[in-house]
Amino acid sequence: MRLKTNSAIRRWIMAMLFLTAVMLFVTACGSNSGNDFTSGEGKLKVTATIGMIADVVNNIGGDHVEAIGLMGPGVDPHLYKASQGDIKKLDQADVIFYNGLHLEGKMAEMLEKLGKKKTTVAVSSRLEESALRSDPSGAGAHDPHIWFDVRNWISAAEVIRDTLVEKDPANADNYKKRAADYLVKLEELDRYTKEQIASIPEASRVLVTAHDAFGYFGDAYGIKVMGLQGMSTASEYGTKDVTTLRDYLVDNKIKAVFVESSVPKKSIEAVIEGAKQMGHDVAIGGELFSDAMGKRGTEEGTYIGMVQHNVDTIVHALK
Amino acid sequence: MTDFWILLTGGLVASCCAILGCFLVLRRMSMIGDAISHSVLPGIVIAFMMSGSRDSFVMLLGASVLGLITVFLIQLFQQSGVQADASIGVVFTALFAIGVVLVSLNLKHVDIDLDCVLYGEIAHVHWNTWELHGSDMGPKAVWMLGFTLLVIIAVIGLFYKQFKLCAFDPALAAAIGIPVALFHYLLMGLVSMATVSSFESVGAILVVGMLIIPASAAYLLTDRLGAMIFISVAIGLASTGLGYGVSVVLDASIAGCMVCAAAVLFILAFLLSPSHGLLARKLRRRSLRERTI
Repeated sequence: MRLKTNSAIRRWIMAMLFLTAVMLFVTACGSNSGNDFTSGEGKLKVTATIGMIADVVNNIGGDHVEAIGLMGPGVDPHLYKASQGDIKKLDQADVIFYNGLHLEGKMAEMLEKLGKKKTTVAVSSRLEESALRSDPSGAGAHDPHIWFDVRNWISAAEVIRDTLVEKDPANADNYKKRAADYLVKLEELDRYTKEQIASIPEASRVLVTAHDAFGYFGDAYGIKVMGLQGMSTASEYGTKDVTTLRDYLVDNKIKAVFVESSVPKKSIEAVIEGAKQMGHDVAIGGELFSDAMGKRGTEEGTYIGMVQHNVDTIVHALK
Repeated sequence: MTDFWILLTGGLVASCCAILGCFLVLRRMSMIGDAISHSVLPGIVIAFMMSGSRDSFVMLLGASVLGLITVFLIQLFQQSGVQADASIGVVFTALFAIGVVLVSLNLKHVDIDLDCVLYGEIAHVHWNTWELHGSDMGPKAVWMLGFTLLVIIAVIGLFYKQFKLCAFDPALAAAIGIPVALFHYLLMGLVSMATVSSFESVGAILVVGMLIIPASAAYLLTDRLGAMIFISVAIGLASTGLGYGVSVVLDASIAGCMVCAAAVLFILAFLLSPSHGLLARKLRRRSLRERTI
């Protein structure tokens, strides 16, 4: 009798210890510091939804601006979940930049409303209707992944420059100068991308990826883009999508397909396997950055570095 | 002020769900919240195809219609002899699948999924304000959920006896002339209204969690329906407050923390409830054994 009670008590203690351990583990994982506004007065505080925008703001703003992104490296914007600390990032910001064109989903609606109280700017706002890719069904929706055409991102950078100049006239000259330097770099990037893609033999200029994010890239630089999934990373792909893509790869002897940093690899692997069974070897050409940039501090953690990485990876694999 | 609006919104969602959750737990239909969270997909897809806009009002309209269709079908099947859990499963998987087919047929190049166009985020509620004649009336979600809560309290309050009898003993209720089917449909209608408006304001996980967990915990703590509803609401409100505190400390998802807090409270009730708790049962069994020996 005694013995039995003891073992029961021990079981309880074990259970409690386990729960405590789980709690501690969660707490340890949760402490992601270094992501808040740290500086006090004097700097313009800017919050951007995606890392690509924060990067441009940092380049143009320099020391006068403190920019943070809500979505970290490798985060799929379609699947972003707000944390409690994000409230502060939005509340304290002097300016909020977002992509627009429904990339941020319902959050964009809230940001538009917030625009009455503080400056919220969609960086896609100056793009002409003709520069946007629309849905073939004519439902009035646009492809939001505008940053794959560097020309679009030049327009975005100009929006950011003008907003900063307007919000912080004291440092206007500085912003203008830094923006001019940065725009030169973007022009160069645009030229580089054009040249590099053009160096791939025309018949091999096909970019096959898991989800449909590279449309602007294809239009701007003359490469055919095929995605397995639809626009939304949450949408399912059909068996017909897999077989169509497989047959296309085999018929056109495409050498490589690409995986994306923010989308699981599984779907594209099914296609490769299928092509193999039909006697055509397809390699994984490398990992492309699509909806999110690389780690902070690395070359791929900047917009320019990310585009360069994508271009080099594509050219290397297809040439 | 931000904290106040978030807590108020969370509290309203918790209250709406905790009240209705009691009746659902008694009728063994608690998974209905999860079912509605999926089955509204064709509603928003059709609403988008008809209007070409992803405006939240249009999406809410589409979702509401599908929410009502969902609960109507579930109730219909259940009354016709299909098991409650099976009828929930059949209806929501079928409707969700219709939505998936519609997306893959028509909207391959439009980003339309529930997370993106319907589910709200509790962290953002206080910026989503409602404006009337140019003046700021406070968060839209608070108005919508407040109205929903009033309707729920009014309907349940007016017909409390009928709802109670229908939940515990539908046969007896029918025998004494209460239109049981009508009250079932009425309850389901309320559930649909509460869940869809909450999804739009705070997202799915919080609603599904609050619909099931506080009511299940209250079920362990009392045997009386009236007390169960009050305890359920209290647990819902407590987990809202606790969860928000935790989310501040951890810098984590607010809705996620609130549901985790509810789960912790449920575990406490499960272990420590004086009547049905694990500990109480163990002690009772031991004292019984000692007495028999």
